[in-house]
This record gives sequence, structure tokens and C-alpha cells, in this order.
Amino acid sequence: MLRSSSRWLVDRFGLGPIWDHLLDRNVPKDPWYHGDGMALLVLLTVLVITGVVLSMGYCPAVDEAYQSVEYISQRQILGWFVRGLHYWSGGLMVVMLFLHLCRQLLNGGYKSPREGTWLIGIFLLCIVVTTSLLGYVLRWDQRGFYGLKVLLAGLQSVPVLGERLVLLIQGGPEITSLTLSRVYALHVIILPMLLIGLVSYHVYLVILHGTTTLAERKEPIETVEEQRELYQEQAEHPVQGEAFFPTAVLKISPWSIVSLAVAMGLALTWGPRKLMAPASSASSEPVSEEWWFAWYSGLVALLPPSVAPTFQWLFPLAVFCGLMSLPFIDRSPLRGWRNRPVATVLVTLLVLAVLGLSWLRYQSPWTPRTSAEVPATPAAFELAHEAEQGRQLFRQYGCTNCHSVAGSGGSQVASDLAQLDTIYSQAELRQYILQPPQGVAMPSYAGRMSDDELGQIVAYVLVAQTFPRKQE
Amino acid sequence: MQRRTVSGLLVATGSALIGGAVGLPALIAALSPAWQPATEDWRPLGPLERFPIATMTPSVIVLDHADWPRRVGEQAAFVWRPSTEEIIVYSRSCTDLGCPLEYEAKSSCFLCPCHGGIFAQDGRRLAGPPKSPMLRYANRVHQGILEIDITSLPPAT
Repeated sequence: MLRSSSRWLVDRFGLGPIWDHLLDRNVPKDPWYHGDGMALLVLLTVLVITGVVLSMGYCPAVDEAYQSVEYISQRQILGWFVRGLHYWSGGLMVVMLFLHLCRQLLNGGYKSPREGTWLIGIFLLCIVVTTSLLGYVLRWDQRGFYGLKVLLAGLQSVPVLGERLVLLIQGGPEITSLTLSRVYALHVIILPMLLIGLVSYHVYLVILHGTTTLAERKEPIETVEEQRELYQEQAEHPVQGEAFFPTAVLKISPWSIVSLAVAMGLALTWGPRKLMAPASSASSEPVSEEWWFAWYSGLVALLPPSVAPTFQWLFPLAVFCGLMSLPFIDRSPLRGWRNRPVATVLVTLLVLAVLGLSWLRYQSPWTPRTSAEVPATPAAFELAHEAEQGRQLFRQYGCTNCHSVAGSGGSQVASDLAQLDTIYSQAELRQYILQPPQGVAMPSYAGRMSDDELGQIVAYVLVAQTFPRKQE
Repeated sequence: MQRRTVSGLLVATGSALIGGAVGLPALIAALSPAWQPATEDWRPLGPLERFPIATMTPSVIVLDHADWPRRVGEQAAFVWRPSTEEIIVYSRSCTDLGCPLEYEAKSSCFLCPCHGGIFAQDGRRLAGPPKSPMLRYANRVHQGILEIDITSLPPAT
């Protein structure tokens, strides 16, 4: 009875072909750490489930969005957990996708016959990055609001089309209710639909063409036929092959379990991202991007003005075109990172650059520190009355925002006074403060301080120039 | 031509027609706000006496919530009067990527919290990635009240 009804189920719901073609097949043995792709699927599932729940509490109207997010996080039962899980899974997905990309770059995962899998993957990368940004715009707090502004400013820099693109995303000449509705439609309907469709296609291609096997990485493979033959041989081999389900799935599951555990752990301990002040162009809360974009923020901060506007649109375009054309440029038959020293070096540099730029962004040595202290005087020095007055004025006139003195007081925006390349005379310093040379990022103090005050500051700087370069 | 070819063509043409009949209006409706013209919108900042000469005065316009589509609640600007004749109203947006500038009175500079943009009192770029000087609203004095046109900036600011 039970048997016949299960047979009926399998037959009427067409489960047989799924079992035969998807689960009950042999694949070449893969190491356990090749589960990053599966982890991305798990994270996507978590994002869809939590996202659906969030959409039931969220209101995409400019004057209600923020409150609705507050409601979800503070009053809805388990709302904080669902929002936290959505937030952390989203951030982790960007990280995992980056690792997934790096692994394919290292091993040559884009090589034949997997070019299609790769190209779809690049589209997925673009969608995930965009969706992750638009997701936090929806919070409609300061971070989200300025995330949107940075996105729009980037679009605005596109030659010819820029303004039209901004109007299209914005839904008119200003940021209004229409803007938030459009961001909502993109984050909740358009991009997820594209994402799920393309992910399914990507997975289908992974099943069809397999993943880069260990055997493929040993010797050069010139043709697709050669690859297919080797793949088939490995899959059917009693030792080198294994069943996809459940053997391979179980083996590659650690990444998925760890990702889910980390997302859950962070959601439980730190909860959802703390909201900043509500979106407004009048708030004085200092803004910053979400952590997974910190590297980009660090990168654009280093750009000279002559490059910056072009970079905003050319960089994403160049990354996209570069990745899309990679399978057609790199025609070498070698796979596996051991055979590809150039790729290995480049990917290592890429990872280091992302980490280094993110670190730099959290230091932000380019941002003046308005809360800086009065710089300390080294123990061996005693300042005359005039110079001591100057030391106090040094902070009063905001000099400490940018200058430090022997490593004390200010920030690193401008030169440390104890570490100047040239020693200035009294007359030169007066001239410099009143009229800084062209191209120097210092405001002119002409007409803003009395002659006495100027004399005191100059007296201080004259001594400060002679301080030991770094104080103990 | 074979019967099958003709049928195939018919199916393809029919599908394209249906797709066009639904897709085209949908596309036009979705894209239409991009072609909406901006109409001037003058808002008062306050009586001119409130903005002393040679002092950077921050000013906030609270936008009413009666109209649709609604704007974001507040818009900030800085009023700078170098002399009795000249009035400049700066936008708060950094010209690099639109982050909110803070005016730092001690050094009389505008500082950007994001990527190190610094501007002088006169809106000139002093440091960082910004290329162009600070943006200015169109302003006028109407019966002693300083007004700005909040639509006078490029769309992404």
C-alpha cells in the first residue's frame, strides 16, 4: 500500500527524472572545501525567506520607511532576529561570492566548457553587489540615504547617459517617494527575480559541465572533448568518482554550515544593523558605507581629482568587461592554481588590496579630526609665553584638524610640523599662513586673525619645527 | 514553404505582438519619470538679516508633506555673504560622491566625512578627490526674504 502510493507520487509528480539526472549521478571526487557555491545557495535561501518576512513589515514610503524598520527591529516578535539574519547573510553572501570568484580565478574555472557558467556568474556578481547596496538604502537612515546618493553620483558621472540614468533610478529630478518605491521594486522584485532565475541556470550549467576537478588540474587540457572524456572517466571511476547525493553533498557541506552558523551567531549576538538617524540632508551624523564596501570607499579616497569622476563609471565597467572577456583572453590549457603562477599572484594581490583598502578606510587618514587635542610639548622643551599662547591658538584656529606636532594632537591630513622637509623662517611662516601657496590644501588666514595672534602662532611653529620628529 | 515553417512563423509573430502590446506600455510607464521636467520651486530660507555678512550660516528647509511625490523631509544649505551685494547659497553635497559636508568654523573649511574632500569658504576645492567647486543654489531676495530654487542643482545632488 505504502509502496504503491509512493510509486504513484514519484510517477505523477515526475520525480524520477530529477532523481536520475540530478541526485543519482556520479561525479569526480571534490575536496571538502569546494562547497562555497553551495554555501551561496544556502545564504540565498536564507535571504529569500527572511526577505519575504521583512517585506510584510516594511513600508516603502519616505516618511514611514524608517519607522517601519524600527517597528520590525523593536516591536515585531522575532523581527530583530529576522532582520539580523537578513543583514548578516547579505554581508556574508558578498564575502562568499568574492571567495567563490577568487577560487575560480585561481583554478581557471572559466575555461572550456564552462564559459557559459562563468558569464552567468559575472551577471550574478553584479546583481548581488547592487542588491546588497539597495538593501541598506531601504532602511532609509543616514547610511542608506547616503549610500543611495553615492550610487547616484556614480551614475551621474557616466558620459552622455549619466543624467538620464539618475532620473531613471530616482524617478524624477529629486529624491522623492518615487525613488524609494523604485529602490524597493528593484531590491524586492526585479533583482531577486533575475537572481533566482540566473542562479537556477548557473546551477543547471554546473550540473551539466561539472566543476573543475582535481584531475583536470594536473595536466594541460587542450580541447573540450579531452575535458569531457577525462571528466566522465573520473566520475565513473570506482576510486576517483563518488555519488553526488548524498556523498559529495555531505562532504562539501562545511562551508554552508559555517556560513549559516556565523550569520545566525551574529544575528543572535549583535542583532540587526543599528539604525543611524533617519534619512535627511540636514543631519550631522557622520556617514559611512556598509563594511563590505569599505575597500571601495578607501580606493576612491585615494584618487586625484583629475581621475575621480572618470573612475566612478569606468572602474565598474572595466571590472565587468574584464571578467566577461577573461575566458576568451586566457586560452592557456593549464588549470589549477599550482600551474598558474600569474593568476595566483594576482588573486593574492587582489585579496591583500581589498583587506588593505578596507583597513585604510577605517583609519581614514584623509579625514580631518575636528576633536583633536592641543599638541603636547616634548619634555626637553619649555615654551616662551608667546609660543605657549600660539600653541593654544593652534587648536583654536583648527590647525590641529589637519596638522599634528611630533605625532601628537592632530591627524595625518597635512604635514607634521616636526617633520617638515624645509625649516621656515619667521617671515616665511607669516606669509604661508596668510597666503598658502597655490595647490596647498590650507585655508588662508588673512583677515581672520589679529597680528598678535599670527605672531604667537608663528612663534610656536618656529619652535615646533625643531622638536624631535616623534615624541616618546 | 512548408506548413510547419509557416506555423512556426505565425507563433513567433503572435508572441512578439503580444509581448510588444504588453511590454511596450509597461516599459514606457516605468521609464517615464526620467523625462519628467523639473519645474522651478522657490523656498524661503528666512529674512535676509538672519544671514550676517562674512559669516557662514547653516540653514535648513523643512519641506511640507502635502505634495506628491513627497520629498525627503529636510534640505540643508549654507548661506555665505562675502559682501552686502553678493549672496551665495551652497548645497551641502560634496561634489565627489554627494556626502554631506560639515562647515568647520575654526579653520573655516568645509569637510567631507567620506573621502577627504575639503573646500574653502568660497567653495573652492582644497583637498581630496572632488574635482569641481561646491554647488550653489539659484537664489533671490523677494520682499526681504532670501529664497532658493531647490530644483536648481543637478539631479543627483
